[in-house]
Amino acid sequence: MKALSFVAGRALQGLVVLLGVSLIVFFALFLTGDPAALMMPPDASRAEIDAFRQAMGFDDPIWVQYGRFIGGVLSGEFGNSLRFQRPALDLLAERLPATALLALVALLWSSLLGFLLGTIAAVRRNSAIDFAIRVISLLGQAIPVFWLALVLIIIFSLKLRWLPSSGIGSLAHLVMPAIALGAYYLSAITRLVRASLIEVLGENYIRTARAKGITNWRIIVHHALRNAMIPVITVQGMYFASLLGGALITEIIFAWPGIGRLAVESIQTRDFPVVQAVVLFTALVFVVMNFLVDLAYLWLNPRIRL
Amino acid sequence: MPDYWNVRRNADAILAVALLATIAALCILVPLLWPLDPIRGLLTATFRPPMTVVGEHLHPLGTDQLGRDLLARLGLGTAISLGIVVLASIISVVLGTILGMLAGYFGGWVDIVIMRAVDIQLAVPFILLILLIVAVVGPSMGNLIVVLGVTGWAIFARVARARTLEVRELEYIDASRAIGLSHLAIIFRHILPNIVGPQTVLLTLDMPRLIILEASVGFLGLGVQPPTPTLGNLIGEGRAFILLANWLVLYPGLVIGALVVGCNLLGDWLVRRADRRDA
Repeated sequence: MKALSFVAGRALQGLVVLLGVSLIVFFALFLTGDPAALMMPPDASRAEIDAFRQAMGFDDPIWVQYGRFIGGVLSGEFGNSLRFQRPALDLLAERLPATALLALVALLWSSLLGFLLGTIAAVRRNSAIDFAIRVISLLGQAIPVFWLALVLIIIFSLKLRWLPSSGIGSLAHLVMPAIALGAYYLSAITRLVRASLIEVLGENYIRTARAKGITNWRIIVHHALRNAMIPVITVQGMYFASLLGGALITEIIFAWPGIGRLAVESIQTRDFPVVQAVVLFTALVFVVMNFLVDLAYLWLNPRIRL
Repeated sequence: MPDYWNVRRNADAILAVALLATIAALCILVPLLWPLDPIRGLLTATFRPPMTVVGEHLHPLGTDQLGRDLLARLGLGTAISLGIVVLASIISVVLGTILGMLAGYFGGWVDIVIMRAVDIQLAVPFILLILLIVAVVGPSMGNLIVVLGVTGWAIFARVARARTLEVRELEYIDASRAIGLSHLAIIFRHILPNIVGPQTVLLTLDMPRLIILEASVGFLGLGVQPPTPTLGNLIGEGRAFILLANWLVLYPGLVIGALVVGCNLLGDWLVRRADRRDA
């Protein structure tokens, strides 16, 4: 019963967050005072801007406009892209698979490798290999995505000529974007798993298991890792937002046709309906991810009596 | 025994200070003392590789597409980027600390509203939010500082609130209330001093995020406008010429890397010291 009300509470919180993001996305347009002038090309005449303002309903009271915006969003209607004269949501849906593919591959390789490296570092604590892993993860967090991406291009596309520097299509196109995007995440996961596992390995039940003569390997895999995963899982949701942010830069550099590139292009060409759709969608993904993380937390840690 | 001088134990702090001091030297000494102009170049000397001599001037890091000396641009760019980041983080810390203390101290509706705002803030990737606002208000240094600052308050609010919740229950706060101090006086005179320490640590750990964020915005061309150099602008402009002149991208990236590693090491060291004192 308590678990159920916890889940309902979290779902409600998620809805509040989405509502808040919709407010930001909506009112950002009014920061300069005149959204019509903002959305029209800079060389539009006064009369054109006025006509556009009339057509978009920017003369109505602001809460009426917000109501209309929310009503539209709920029925999946963000308005037409000013650049392509097509529904913003269609553009988003077209670009989504590319981003999903990139994000999932980046997430997969970095999580697997991160768990492996973190575990090795924790088990061989204070050894040379632990030191090496810590240096790598420190550097991984220090290098900006765009710099790593450019260095990868210089090495693998320009010097060695092994991999294509941009575009989408084959597996070879995916390699560098996935590495660039996953690098930060790899460092974060490695550090977390290491710290968390070191803490768990100091617990009494691990000492008991060792006293019973269970092999080291079995202790780590069966007894320690499961508990060490709890803090790792809880911050996954937080890191996911940074992953989406990193995807934006990665997609620009590698000309990857995903929603991040769509967002930046739309911002640069002032195509605000598309920008609104992308930002709200990103927030939705973030909220859903965090909700799933909460559920996973509940499942992983039965000791939590809510 | 002063354990500051224990080299083995504090090796990371020493490395951090060395890195940050090098960067500080770069962004103070180069703009002041280096004779070459970071904005105007020699169009007859474009894309010269590092350590080339043009006329009587040595270009230790080479020149860019307009024949400008990269060392001069890197020095000024680092200084400008750091200035933006420091001012922005001051806005974040002040805003976050005040709101966090209010949430923790008053609880109830104030708490709910502020903490939901934190959730909302954290639900949108920073870079997307910043690009959106910059696109609306226009790219300029002032706007960038405000936007980076205002969007960074959330984590500081979380920590300030948590610490306030702890401190609020202490007896001396009850005592201050009993002698009739106002809420504001209690918050700013008696709770704030407990929060300064944790916020300083958090600030060093948050600095890398801001440095990379500012550089990302510059890289996308939505930050400070050219010809003014920033770390992100340098890499963004150099990107078009990586085939011809990869040093334009490499050196600014190394500076960013050194800055972030320095801040992270310093932050970790501060956390460790704070832990030891608590124990």
